[in-house]
Amino acid sequence: MGRKNDGVLKWTLIAICAIFLFIMLILPLIYIVATALREGFGAYAAALSDEYARKAVGLTIKATLWAVGLNTVFGICAAWCITKFNFKGKKIISTLIDLPLTVSPIIAGLIFVLTFGRQSFLYDYLKAAGISIIFAVPGVILATIFVTFPYISREIIPVLNAQGTDEEEAAALMGAKTFTIFRKVTFPHIKWALLYGVVLCTARAMGEFGAVSVLSGHLRGKTNTMPLYIELLYQGYDFTGAFAVSSLLVIMAVIVLALRSILEYKGKKESEQDR
Amino acid sequence: MADTVQNYVELHDINKNYGDFQASHQINFGIEKGKLVALLGPSGSGKTTILRMIAGLETPDSGEIKIDGQVVNHIPANKRGIGFVFQSYALFRYMTVYDNIAMGLQIQKVPKQQIKERVTELLDLVSLKGLENRYPNQLSGGQRQRVAFARAIAPNPQLLLLDEPFAAIDAKVRQELRSWLKEMIGKLGITSIFVTHDQDEAMEVADEIILTNRGRIEQIGSPSEIYTYPKTAFTASFFGQNAQLEGYQAFHTFGDVPGADKALIRPEFVKVYKLDEKQQYPESASIGTVEQISFRGDRTELQINVNGLLITAKRNLGESPIAVGEQVKVFLYRIFVLKGEEVILLENEAVNSNYFNI
Ligand SMILES: Nc1ncnc2c1ncn2[C@@H]1O[C@H](COP(=O)(O)OP(=O)(O)O)[C@@H](O)[C@H]1O
Ligand SMILES: [Mg+2]
Repeated sequence: MGRKNDGVLKWTLIAICAIFLFIMLILPLIYIVATALREGFGAYAAALSDEYARKAVGLTIKATLWAVGLNTVFGICAAWCITKFNFKGKKIISTLIDLPLTVSPIIAGLIFVLTFGRQSFLYDYLKAAGISIIFAVPGVILATIFVTFPYISREIIPVLNAQGTDEEEAAALMGAKTFTIFRKVTFPHIKWALLYGVVLCTARAMGEFGAVSVLSGHLRGKTNTMPLYIELLYQGYDFTGAFAVSSLLVIMAVIVLALRSILEYKGKKESEQDR
Repeated sequence: MADTVQNYVELHDINKNYGDFQASHQINFGIEKGKLVALLGPSGSGKTTILRMIAGLETPDSGEIKIDGQVVNHIPANKRGIGFVFQSYALFRYMTVYDNIAMGLQIQKVPKQQIKERVTELLDLVSLKGLENRYPNQLSGGQRQRVAFARAIAPNPQLLLLDEPFAAIDAKVRQELRSWLKEMIGKLGITSIFVTHDQDEAMEVADEIILTNRGRIEQIGSPSEIYTYPKTAFTASFFGQNAQLEGYQAFHTFGDVPGADKALIRPEFVKVYKLDEKQQYPESASIGTVEQISFRGDRTELQINVNGLLITAKRNLGESPIAVGEQVKVFLYRIFVLKGEEVILLENEAVNSNYFNI
């Protein structure tokens, strides 16, 4: 194999990647921005300040905050119990945590409809308690939580596994309480992985379409998240509106991506220091 | 082990299973106050398990653990007055040296000023002054071990447990740290148990050795006792630089042990003479050929073939040199004859005209 051949191979591969990224990513992004601004800034601003658009943004943020908040707590608990304790059924739990990654979001949505909808035995109790889940905001939040819950625990588990349980045991021998042990010993270890998981979870929560679509009922101004609202506008041939809201979602995604890179860089630097 | 002596730590009939694997089997021993004791045995023989049960990090399935005369089975680990040095030290990676040492005192809510005094005193004791603001990853292996030691003794424990305290340290520094630790523990007068798989380490550092094998205790005794008078086949083969000898009867003037399997000899049991050298018991020496000579600094080590049996012997530098291929006279003072689990010490009858069973 000559050096020259290597050079040809290298540049061919780079070209393929560049063309691929351009067609799959750059072009659509340009297209989104161009279409959003097709009728001028005025129309763009109007589309974004539309009441329904603002409500959709609000709901997306709300669902994302709920999902990230609950999944952070759940993720830490799950990762902690899987890595620090030995018990029967541990394998099952760690397999189940990954389920949302393999189940299609539409099916996830349907599962919740079956669980909380009219056919369910729970329905009467929920109705009596005045709680509506299907075609209501709680349903949207529930769906978002479901599709995003593996992200945080999956980031933390490998870090905790690599660390072992020695330091916690040392602290426990000194008489430290569980919460002190978590705060002083465990948390500093998982800090970066946790933040990274939060970022991934946020990105996924903002963009979720399938499961939310099944549970929301598409009530404009009530249960429409940004992705659902975009689809609605698009189906109604309001391209300026659809792409204007899309551009907003893209901006949010880019911010999250930037955060991700920063976190990855910082986390890596710190773990290098460890060696 | 006598009941008349007040033991500081006592284990009575301790058993411990992990699933269907028996990690500890009928463990019994007692440790006098102020003693430095080694739990010695091959890897996987259950040393760490015993140490962790004493600390309260594991619970025995049956049996009693007593510390200072009190049964501690149901006393939580942090109330047993124990300092523990973990095998990999388990220093808190995200805390400075100072905070590592201070942590135990902080948890006990000791006043800040007092903590400061104690930590300063300990930093001085383990010669780590000036490094209090470093993080563990900025220290050498030996320094980390000293931090772990200081951290363990900071709250003034009555009992110090150390799991393989030298395993993670370069061979060069290890020697130095062994004497350091022995001296330090002697100075503090704290009852200590340390785990090791290294016989030299145990013999050099410990007042007493507890030898473990497959979850059981093989023998307990002082280093010289356990080395010179092994009571089981395992103990005999664990210590020293043993060579196995099938058919020891080929050598002259050893009594016969009915049903014996094989014999062990240690280099110090062997004396080598050149053919023209004078020797004390000429009639009981065998003739062998030197196959290999290794230089060991203060002495040479010889591999000698005697009628097909390979024997290791040592020769001091002062003695006249021997060459490879040379014929020599080999005299064995004594051998360990193994018979099942038993070991029988046989003295050469030329020296001591009867053999005895121990
Ligand atoms: N938590 C555990 N679960 C299952 N088996 C264990 C556990 N801890 C130790 N063992 C087993 O018990 C045996 C003795 O272990 P250990 O006490 O660590 O030995 P040593 O310290 O002498 O090397 C080993 O075979 C080990 O695999
Ligand atoms: Mg061990």
